[in-house]
Amino acid sequence: MNRVLRPSVVMLLSLACYGVLLGPFCAYMKQKPVEEKLGYVPSATLLRYLATDQKEFVAASLVMKTVMYYGGIAEKQQTNVVVAPPDLPAMSRLLHGAVKLDPYNMDAYYFAQSFLTWDAKQYKLANNLMDYGMKYRTWDWYLPFFAGFNSAYFLKDYSAAARYYQKAGELSGSDLSRLLAGRYLQESGQTGLAIAYLTVMEKGETNEAMKRNYHIRLTAFREVHRIEVARDRFKEAKGIVPTTVEQLILGGFLVPPPVDPYGGTFYLEPDGKVATTSKFAFAGVKNEKRQHTGE
Amino acid sequence: MNAIDISGLCKQFKGKKMTRVDALKNLDLQIVPGEVFGYLGPNGAGKSTTIKCLMGLIRPTAGTATIMGEPVGSVASRTKVGFLPENPAFYDYLSAEEYLRFVGKTFRMPEALLSRRTDETLKLLELWDARKRPMRGYSKGMVQRVGLAQTMIHDPDLYILDEPMSGLDPIGRALVKEIILDLKKRGKSVFFSTHITDDVEKVCDRVGVIVKGQLEALDSVENIVRKGIEGYIVQTRLGQGEHDSLKGFNITRRNETFVEYFVPVAGFNEFIALAGHHSVEVTLVETKRKDLESFFLEIVRKGNS
Amino acid sequence: MLNIMAISLKGIFRDRIFQGIMGLAVLFLFIPSAASLSMRQVTELSITLSLSLISFIMLLLAVFLGATSIWKDIERRYTYSILSLPLSRTAYLLGRFLGIALFMLLTALFLGGVAMLAIKVASVLYPPARPVLWIAVLASILYGTLKYILLVAVSMLLATVSTSFFLPVFGTICTYLAGSITQQVYDYLHTPAAVKAISPIMKQAALFFYYLLPNLSAFDLKVNAIYALPLNASGLLMTALYFIVYTSVLLAAGAILLGRREMK
Ligand SMILES: Nc1ncnc2c1ncn2[C@@H]1O[C@H](COP(=O)(O)OP(=O)(O)OP(=O)(O)O)[C@@H](O)[C@H]1O
Ligand SMILES: [Mg+2]
Repeated sequence: MNRVLRPSVVMLLSLACYGVLLGPFCAYMKQKPVEEKLGYVPSATLLRYLATDQKEFVAASLVMKTVMYYGGIAEKQQTNVVVAPPDLPAMSRLLHGAVKLDPYNMDAYYFAQSFLTWDAKQYKLANNLMDYGMKYRTWDWYLPFFAGFNSAYFLKDYSAAARYYQKAGELSGSDLSRLLAGRYLQESGQTGLAIAYLTVMEKGETNEAMKRNYHIRLTAFREVHRIEVARDRFKEAKGIVPTTVEQLILGGFLVPPPVDPYGGTFYLEPDGKVATTSKFAFAGVKNEKRQHTGE
Repeated sequence: MNAIDISGLCKQFKGKKMTRVDALKNLDLQIVPGEVFGYLGPNGAGKSTTIKCLMGLIRPTAGTATIMGEPVGSVASRTKVGFLPENPAFYDYLSAEEYLRFVGKTFRMPEALLSRRTDETLKLLELWDARKRPMRGYSKGMVQRVGLAQTMIHDPDLYILDEPMSGLDPIGRALVKEIILDLKKRGKSVFFSTHITDDVEKVCDRVGVIVKGQLEALDSVENIVRKGIEGYIVQTRLGQGEHDSLKGFNITRRNETFVEYFVPVAGFNEFIALAGHHSVEVTLVETKRKDLESFFLEIVRKGNS
Repeated sequence: MLNIMAISLKGIFRDRIFQGIMGLAVLFLFIPSAASLSMRQVTELSITLSLSLISFIMLLLAVFLGATSIWKDIERRYTYSILSLPLSRTAYLLGRFLGIALFMLLTALFLGGVAMLAIKVASVLYPPARPVLWIAVLASILYGTLKYILLVAVSMLLATVSTSFFLPVFGTICTYLAGSITQQVYDYLHTPAAVKAISPIMKQAALFFYYLLPNLSAFDLKVNAIYALPLNASGLLMTALYFIVYTSVLLAAGAILLGRREMK
């Protein structure tokens, strides 16, 4: 009797303690600093030695880790929960480590491209990464396609962009990239370029959070495009350049009124360019708010 | 050609910190074909060491040994031998039957013979009912029986058995004795180590006693038995003749009707003559001899001093 | 020798190791869904996960089967009964080795089959940009198996001299770790930066280990399998020869050492 009873009592007590501890423990894990959650990754060289014959697996897990981390934050941002913005440099470090381990890992390039550009504004870094990947993924048209877009849209280096788009076109065997190259490689075609790029990206996306991300950005750019069209029509009809978006709405050029999915408000810059207070990012709105409240 | 031929065999174990154990010191021993040899010795005497040298499990430090003319350690030297290790252990995930078949195949027995012999030996050693169970679940004595069975499966000419009776019940011991006697009848050679002198006396042709790595005695059982006769116990009936005439002999026992005398071998004729002369009726004469046990103990005592 | 091999194989199966592996193989069921987390390379990720899982299982098998087989026989005194049979110690060692090697091959065959099924499912659900190069997947599994069989030989060699369980187990793990990176170290030593930074003696020592330790990275064809990169036929042949020669050297050394070992 005693032989069963005593251990059972001890076990029940331990289980009770476990139940009590579980709550605080999980809470603690949840609020752990971001850097800790993303984890410290030893230098890529060291990791290459440690990964032995599991380099591809380690690389894939680094990418997954980054994606999940980002996905978690993006989802909260999309539902308007205020969270700390993602640690983009850390994510970049992780992905760079991943491609050192497995230079073929497409997820790493793809994901790096998606946040290094609009979010982190590291266009040069992104393009260097694409160049590195192109040495290995010689068959892949996405990498020159990304690099071409970065060159044209962000870096305004149209000759480089043309080169990249040329390559992407050859590899994909479709005219898409070449079309893009011809039509938009000029300052005035920026919005169209972005819409074309985002349409391709959204279509090929399987990750839900990422897809929604693209969708939101695409919606924003479509709104910009609508405003641009209204602005040009206003100019044509009235002969003067509009200075505010409200002018366009009141004049009936813009129905329904544009909505910034990032929560900002569109406005016209003095040179006529369409801009938004959100700067096409959820974090942008928050920063604005902070400034307003004097934080 | 001798079944076993050991000459000048030495074995020194090197332990840690330069400690050395001389387990065998210059051992010379021959076993002739058809002979049953009992290898006696106290614990730690070097019996198992000798046997391990013979089976090529350890290398002698010096000296040579052959089995059926083949130098020990060679594969050829083991082809005609059935060996039972001390406290044997076998792959315990196998059943007795599987293990016997494995051993038989290693000895390259033809399939039909192997099946027949497997069944025979399993039945002989009373393992038949357990033959399909993995040996993991066997008792100590059952494992010992498997050990004996695997020495016999291929019907070798020479048996080397390290303590074959250990772990067996009295029925098992009797069975082993019977088996050894049967082997002797069929002209096989048996070399076995043991502590039990009684077994030796019943089955062996010759015995060797090893103490502290040295062979202290080597003789036939017959000789030992003969040499061991110390005298006779003679019983006489009281109330008849003059018992006083036998006063020179030690009385070992007496009651109302009988007296028992101890008569040394040398005094036997004199005793009989005296008794006859004085009309003492001798009712019983028994030889009194040292048994092998005391022979053994004596040698061990001598060897240790 | 074949006899011992059969017994070894039986022992491994009786120890329910295969059942354990079948249990682990359930993990393959989750691979397609786990791989679907990937954004752009679901099939590639499922190949990565499959091959990694196989590698991991095989590593465990190599270390534990290799290290325990001979060591356990000596420890449990099975060697008294086995080595006193008319069987050379070399045949015993080879038999044990072949038994384990055969088991590893069977396991690889089984796991490989399951993995290919998982990969197929993933590739049907999420068609990859480039079709799966099945021959590369097969080659990767096969060469991975060869690698772990070589490790079995390493652990058996260590077991022939060791009286404890630790040397074979940790020695094999260390050999695995070191063998996987020797090529990287070698390549690093030949970069201009290293030529300046590293003393000649260190370099000599590193080169010594490079030639001594098995070069396991040669057997790693995962990248070819995952990204459908073409295989190098002569390289494969060379690696196969390397496997045969290196394993033979290990087994011969093991046979010499076991032959000299005393079964006290
Ligand atoms: N592996 C070993 N290392 C060191 N000494 C050993 C070793 N094996 C045996 N010895 C020593 O050799 C001597 C002979 O041992 P052995 O096992 O031959 O005795 P034995 O006659 O078989 O005894 P028992 O009747 O107890 O079985 C002993 O003193 C023992 O301590
Ligand atoms: Mg003994």
